[in-house]
Amino acid sequence: MPPKSEVLQGTLDLLVLKTLDTLGPMHGFGIAQRIQQVSQDVLRLNQGTLYPALLRLEQRGWISSRWGVSENNRNAKFYSLTRRGRRQLRDEAEGWNQMAAVINRVLKATS
Amino acid sequence: MIESILALAARLLSLFRRRGLDRDLDAELRSHLDMAVEHHLAQGMNSEQARRQALLDFGGVEQARQIYRERRGLPFFDTLFQDLRFAFRMLRKSPGFTAAAVLTLALGIGANTAIFSAINAVLLRPLPFANANRLVFVWATDRQRGVNEDVSSYPNFEDWKAQSNTLEALAAFTTRSATLSIGEQAELVPAVQCTPGIFELFGVLPQLGRTFRQEESKPGLSHVLILSDAFWKERFAGRPDVIGRTLRVNEDPYTVVGVMPPGFRISRERPEQVYAPLVRDPNRGHGFLMVLGRLRKGVSIKQAQTEMSAIAGRLEGAYPSQNRGVGVNIVPLVDAMAGDVKTGMLIFLGVVSLVLLIACTNVANLMLARGASRMKEIAVRAALGAERWRILRQLLTESTVLALAGGAAGLLISYWMSRALVASLKQFNVPRLADTHTDTWVLLFTLAISLFTGIFFGAVFAFSAGSPKLREALHQSSRQATEGARGSRLRSALVVAETAMALVLLASAGVLLKSVLVMRSTAPGFQTKNRLTVEFWLPPKKFPNDSRRIQFFKSALARAETVDGVHSAALVADLPLGGGFDSLSFHIVGKPDPAPGKPFQSLFNVASPGYFATMGIPLRAGHEFSDRDSTDTTQVIVINEAAARRFWPDEIPLGKQIRLDTNLLTVVGVVSDTRQLGLGTAPRPEIFLNYMQSSPDWSWLVMVARTEGDSTPVSAALKRAAQQVDPDVPVTRILPMDDVLALSLAQPELWTGLLAVFAILAVVLAAVGLYGVVSHLVAQRTHEMGIRMALGANRGDVFSLVVKQGLRLTFVGTLIGIPCALGAAQLLVHLVPSVRPGDPSTLTAVSTLLLSIAFAASYIPARRATRVDPIVALRYE
Repeated sequence: MPPKSEVLQGTLDLLVLKTLDTLGPMHGFGIAQRIQQVSQDVLRLNQGTLYPALLRLEQRGWISSRWGVSENNRNAKFYSLTRRGRRQLRDEAEGWNQMAAVINRVLKATS
Repeated sequence: MIESILALAARLLSLFRRRGLDRDLDAELRSHLDMAVEHHLAQGMNSEQARRQALLDFGGVEQARQIYRERRGLPFFDTLFQDLRFAFRMLRKSPGFTAAAVLTLALGIGANTAIFSAINAVLLRPLPFANANRLVFVWATDRQRGVNEDVSSYPNFEDWKAQSNTLEALAAFTTRSATLSIGEQAELVPAVQCTPGIFELFGVLPQLGRTFRQEESKPGLSHVLILSDAFWKERFAGRPDVIGRTLRVNEDPYTVVGVMPPGFRISRERPEQVYAPLVRDPNRGHGFLMVLGRLRKGVSIKQAQTEMSAIAGRLEGAYPSQNRGVGVNIVPLVDAMAGDVKTGMLIFLGVVSLVLLIACTNVANLMLARGASRMKEIAVRAALGAERWRILRQLLTESTVLALAGGAAGLLISYWMSRALVASLKQFNVPRLADTHTDTWVLLFTLAISLFTGIFFGAVFAFSAGSPKLREALHQSSRQATEGARGSRLRSALVVAETAMALVLLASAGVLLKSVLVMRSTAPGFQTKNRLTVEFWLPPKKFPNDSRRIQFFKSALARAETVDGVHSAALVADLPLGGGFDSLSFHIVGKPDPAPGKPFQSLFNVASPGYFATMGIPLRAGHEFSDRDSTDTTQVIVINEAAARRFWPDEIPLGKQIRLDTNLLTVVGVVSDTRQLGLGTAPRPEIFLNYMQSSPDWSWLVMVARTEGDSTPVSAALKRAAQQVDPDVPVTRILPMDDVLALSLAQPELWTGLLAVFAILAVVLAAVGLYGVVSHLVAQRTHEMGIRMALGANRGDVFSLVVKQGLRLTFVGTLIGIPCALGAAQLLVHLVPSVRPGDPSTLTAVSTLLLSIAFAASYIPARRATRVDPIVALRYE
């Protein structure tokens, strides 16, 4: 099993937005599960930090929340992407890809 | 951008529904953990393991909650609300302390607010004129006499007006008294004669009619009159048909052309009732005008001063004889209007800031005394992980809440204080003082000093209590948890500072009081008992020459002496202590002038035969004026002893002659000195002319009547008799000589009284502070006292131990205070000119008084210390 790495500062927002984009409305636990699954457990997410991040996204109007019932019949707060959130995801993903490409190029050039 | 605004709004909103949101978050976290546990159970863990794993994955529930909360609201406000709630709880818990602190602060802040609101009304609030900040007073100055605020002559005013570029408008006025006849009775009213442009310079329109036209300053056209609002309402019941009416002013008919709006006032001494145009006076040597100017836009006072000084310099070159040494001094109108009162008020602002500092020190001390018991609480909070700045912030919030409460109470106190202040200053006719009220600026001032106060004493407290030595504090039992050496040193230093400040105020009040007492015990040089004074105004029109005047004098005196109860009556131009005196230059026959072109100077006065006897001024040599002196006999003068000493130091002055203008005058008598200018001012040389021979055309005169027994019942009869002499000569004032004397003391007494009030306040506060410190000391050392007494110290030893501590602090404070008091006393000359700042007996008395008060303040706690029962004290552990 490869060593786990911490979620990078600032990337958590992008991960959350993308997860909600893929899954549709989802509660905090589901988001955390999904991020860990997709990263094949490489990312070690401190689940507690997810909630301040969700709050921050909600305060900025990128996601919205409401109480609902989970697949296991539990009360849970569901988060969903807003239209502004979708736009934000697009911009951020684009920015990330550009940055990743640049870093890749730099790494290749020096090696 | 929009995101940040949305976020801020969300955070602000969250402040108001914190509890609900907290519940929401808890539910969400719980549901998360439950789901996690379920998930792990499904993967085959037992319930214990599943729970552990869920918490592990989550990582610190409490921390997550904390970060979430900070993220959710605005941490600054969150903490503030928390601190405020805590502060209120703390203050409610000790109502005694809170009440004492709020009251102390309220007194200090209230005194400051009261003085500030008066200053605000008189000095700071803009004058009610358009462009008020560009209005200036243009005084003449006289280098030779060292005068900075002098009147100027009409030709000088005209030249200033013609040549100045920096002043876009200039106008001049002079204050007069005018006899106004409406119907039968003549009445004397304060009047202003002004150049026609003066109302336009102020930018004030009449509420009725018009202002003066330019041509109305020419002789023959100048008989027009503008009324003040007060006069119009009082005399004409505010009737608009007053315009066009004719009034007799100084016996001439004047047509009313306008009425000024309420509150308009030019003269600073007393509110004028009527305005008349000023007619040109071509004499350049005759200074009688006060000049007002309006600065051109963007021109500073300094620029105007530079230009006007240059103009004055040119005029001095062009007219060396009349304008020698004449310069210009430009002063903002606001300052000029306030006059002497300005210095007095600023001094009192200093006085009340000292009172406030003492109040602050006291409250800091109170907090420190209480701090001992709070030390433990603070230590516990620190041990539980409160950061140092967080504790400081909490303490500062507490002190600020306290100070704001004090400020609010102070505002109430200041309302009464400023009412009393305005009432007691009313007699001095300070312009605009009556408008003193609480406006936005006063409120802001109060808020600012309250905040300052809170931060000031809060910081003092926090400095000494905010960083307890944790272990020590936690180890000690709560009773003994003390602020340690640093705290008690600080508190002693505060008491010393308080005492020093109280001493400064007390000493200042002391020297003022002393000078007032000295003045009161000073013999004025004449009798005041059973003497009545009746002030007349002779309309110059009606009495154009000596013979008309002498005729009036004779019949007035004859009539007065027929009044029942009048023993004798006489006339004088300037009553001693009456406020007005004129200095004239003269030459002495057979003696060179003191310097070429600078003749002798003396006060000049005019009196009728019998004046000195009536006033009870003893004759030292020669004789008084006699009834036989007339315009045909030798012109005689009587001089006072000061004049004899100054002008004829080693000679007998009788028979010597002086020259006044063209008249030769012979000294026939020497009388003893009177205090002409004030009881605190040494007698000046004075030369009396005889009313029966020559009277300069001074229109004022006073009849003095010596009555048999009490003068009060005679007063009405005398007034009637005086008015019968000539109905056109108004009696302006009738007053017992005792009251004239009292009036001359009114201002010094008022300043002294005011200062004494604040000094007493300061001393009481300082005594309370000392009492607090000493009691606290005793409370802390109960255990030690018990041991001392168990070991054989008697009650006397313990008593003196405590009292010594109190006295030592006061003594140090006094030592520091004395030099400060000496420095501060230099300023008091502005309040009472005859004050002697360094008076050693006053300083000694004041220091002794302060030490006695300190003794009394230490006495009660010391007594308590002696009652300590050794057994109880030792068991108390």
